[in-house]
Amino acid sequence: MPHQCTNCGRRFPDGSKEMLSGCPDCGGNRFQFTPDADGEEADAGTEGDSGATGEGADTGADDPAGDEAVGEKSGTVSRAAATVRDWMSESGAGKPDPNDGADAEPDRPTETEAAETDDRDPFAEWPETARPPEDRSEEADDAESANADREVEADWPDPPGEDSAQADARRTVVGPDELPEDAESATPPDDRTEDRPDHGRVVSEPEDDDQPSVDELRNELNEQFESIKIVEPGQYELNLMELYDREEHIVSLQEDGRYVIDVPDSWVDADE
Amino acid sequence: MGLLTGLRDSLSRVTDRLFSEQEPKRIGIYGPPNAGKTTLANRIARDWTGDAVGAESHIPHETRRARRKEDVEIERDGKTVSIDIVDTPGVTTKVDYEEFTDEMDKDDAVRRSREATEGVAEAMHWLREDVDGVIYVLDSAEDPITQVNTMLIGIIESRDLPVLIFANKIDLEESSVKRIEDAFPQHETVPLSAKEGENMDEVYEQIAEYFG
Repeated sequence: MPHQCTNCGRRFPDGSKEMLSGCPDCGGNRFQFTPDADGEEADAGTEGDSGATGEGADTGADDPAGDEAVGEKSGTVSRAAATVRDWMSESGAGKPDPNDGADAEPDRPTETEAAETDDRDPFAEWPETARPPEDRSEEADDAESANADREVEADWPDPPGEDSAQADARRTVVGPDELPEDAESATPPDDRTEDRPDHGRVVSEPEDDDQPSVDELRNELNEQFESIKIVEPGQYELNLMELYDREEHIVSLQEDGRYVIDVPDSWVDADE
Repeated sequence: MGLLTGLRDSLSRVTDRLFSEQEPKRIGIYGPPNAGKTTLANRIARDWTGDAVGAESHIPHETRRARRKEDVEIERDGKTVSIDIVDTPGVTTKVDYEEFTDEMDKDDAVRRSREATEGVAEAMHWLREDVDGVIYVLDSAEDPITQVNTMLIGIIESRDLPVLIFANKIDLEESSVKRIEDAFPQHETVPLSAKEGENMDEVYEQIAEYFG
């Protein structure tokens, strides 16, 4: 069930035309793409709520060194395209206000806040992360790096490197009830702490203030959207060839490195 | 039904392009920031339609969204050329809000910078998708051999778009049209001052010839 309306939860099979003019049930135009491979875990994460702790833990762990990582990689490209397409459906005809997203949801939920917002909109975080899944495949390849990300998730504003299924599962696992002390200690369960790398690409450490995380996030986004490099807010470097070569069109930049892009009509027409 | 409609639309678009001589050509006015693109677009639009296209400013990146003036009819030698003028944001590889902080406060400068960056992305997108010909405007008082100019003209050439190079600001003392001609000898260079309206006759002649 690759597509799901983020408003009413209605599901659509891959390639469904029903959703092209909005959700038939509620008229919503935000859809979450859930790859087949992760479909079941995603269901568990969204429907089971806190009851799905066990299954969620599996997803959240997503054993980076295991077979699952390989599977995820294979679906990455199609998922990236589909995600962008789905994502675009929400921007619709207009040029979205860069601040829209900030109004719609908590901008940088902490671990605890994210868990609390689950009830309202389990996918709220996804469109805002602006992190195409390509990068996740690298992380999936790199067990240490994936682990490192998990270690610091508690302090990450919008944890990148995970799709909604993972995000839901993770949030379900480390729910506020289960936190041993406070949100700061929202580390993975003890049985995985031995996987913690003592070297490798540890992108940030939670003991610092938030600034390094934001910088790091920006750097990662820069690597993906190399057409525009955000040196710092208000300072940009542009790769003209990349901008020219892109089929999609960046219509709005946001200071945390997120983009709103417009995809060509042909991407939509192809399904009609 | 949607498929049929889409098919019919795209067919009619194709036939329009093939058989309609009257279809206005979409001419993009490109160039680095502050070369005088909007001044030129306004000059052309005012001369032939009476309207302006957009605000001009000495501060770079005044134009941060592509602006279009449609169906501008230019008459030359009894022949009428209809073009859509697309005034684009100045193309650059770096945008820094500190360029603007003398003129405005930091928040506004940062916003201007971000919008300018979006504008460049948009301009590059139009160049790929939506332009039938290019007027490349350069400030003749500046060195024309820059990364941006070389790259953009290279892209335009690779698309086989008709291109005219306008050596603008010939009213300035430091102006050197020859420097531009030497830099891009493969293209027609037209000297002008959009601000003062100098040499506009030749400008319109060349537009009619290249894009008619």
